[in-house]
Amino acid sequence: TAGNKIFHFGACRVSMSTTEIRAGFTAIKANIQARDPIRTLSILSYPHSLHKVKSPDRCCITHHLFDFYVDKVFKHCKTEDSFVNRKISSIANSFLSMKRKLGQCQEQNQCLCGQESTEKLKQILANYEGLNVTSAAMKSLGELDILLDWME
Amino acid sequence: SGELYCSLLNPRNVRFESVNMKNVLHWSAPEGTGNEVLYKVKYSVYGVGKWIRKPECKNINRTWCDLSSETSDYEEQYYASVKAFLNGMFSDWVETTRFNPLTDTKIDPPMVSVSSTDKSISITLTAPEKWKRSPEEESISLLQVYPGLQYNVSVLNKKTKKRWFFSISNHTLVVPWLEPGTAYCVSAQIHVSAPLLDSDFSKEHCIATLKDK
Repeated sequence: TAGNKIFHFGACRVSMSTTEIRAGFTAIKANIQARDPIRTLSILSYPHSLHKVKSPDRCCITHHLFDFYVDKVFKHCKTEDSFVNRKISSIANSFLSMKRKLGQCQEQNQCLCGQESTEKLKQILANYEGLNVTSAAMKSLGELDILLDWME
Repeated sequence: SGELYCSLLNPRNVRFESVNMKNVLHWSAPEGTGNEVLYKVKYSVYGVGKWIRKPECKNINRTWCDLSSETSDYEEQYYASVKAFLNGMFSDWVETTRFNPLTDTKIDPPMVSVSSTDKSISITLTAPEKWKRSPEEESISLLQVYPGLQYNVSVLNKKTKKRWFFSISNHTLVVPWLEPGTAYCVSAQIHVSAPLLDSDFSKEHCIATLKDK
């Protein structure tokens, strides 16, 4: 795919492209973030920025965050705007293919979860469950650039 | 007795303008007003509760406010907000969209320096530095901020108008097998693939290869 890059998540090495996701997100970023009025909470970066997580088990966090977005976010992000909806489903499809690739690392035990990532994932889920589903999903979608910035 | 409620129209087009992570808040005056209007500014870190006032931008009549210092952590995202007031009347607070310094900044072209022999030219490229509070502060190259940063280099033979393009990751390039005694012009651009950021091309730097011995 255009813009494929080797991502190193500890022992796990995966060739993926985030270019399409980036382009899709940039196209709907203002629209999606405008639907999120809550400034005081971040799903991915509360209380500490996702960037502060430098642990070797980045693969575990990335893999579980792909699951999180596929299972809990995209399906609750329907809007009245068909352009936005199309972009969301294209991003979701890209996530599915990245999730499959990362799954291979998990099968080879290269995606183990340490304490830091387990706690971070628990915090993310707690942040998510602290809001109603639609608000939590829309806020998570609006934070996609935080995930991409951290991955890259 | 009814309270006289006077409101001023809102500032317009409130947004961050950012170059090399020098992040400046800009806005336009409320419609139909000029520089008699005063403003105050506040900002907040996304995901953190409170709004923070910017004292240096209180009661100002200019329509910009440098928030580079307050938004220098590019692993965070920010909002800023402006309120206008005049003769006891005041507008609403008007917010920016969410500002991500990493993806929402514009990058300047690289610095280009060239030297030549009779059959080659050597090009050295320098990425711009991230904005810093003071000259004494340690410089951070945008190369450190964007590890995947690359340079697109254009080399033009002024005589034949033939142009080559190179895409390189390191900061030096030697172009061999050139014609002696010929002028070549070099221009370069910065390309970051993730997030997608491209600078403009630099102005051309021309140099002539030495004449044949």
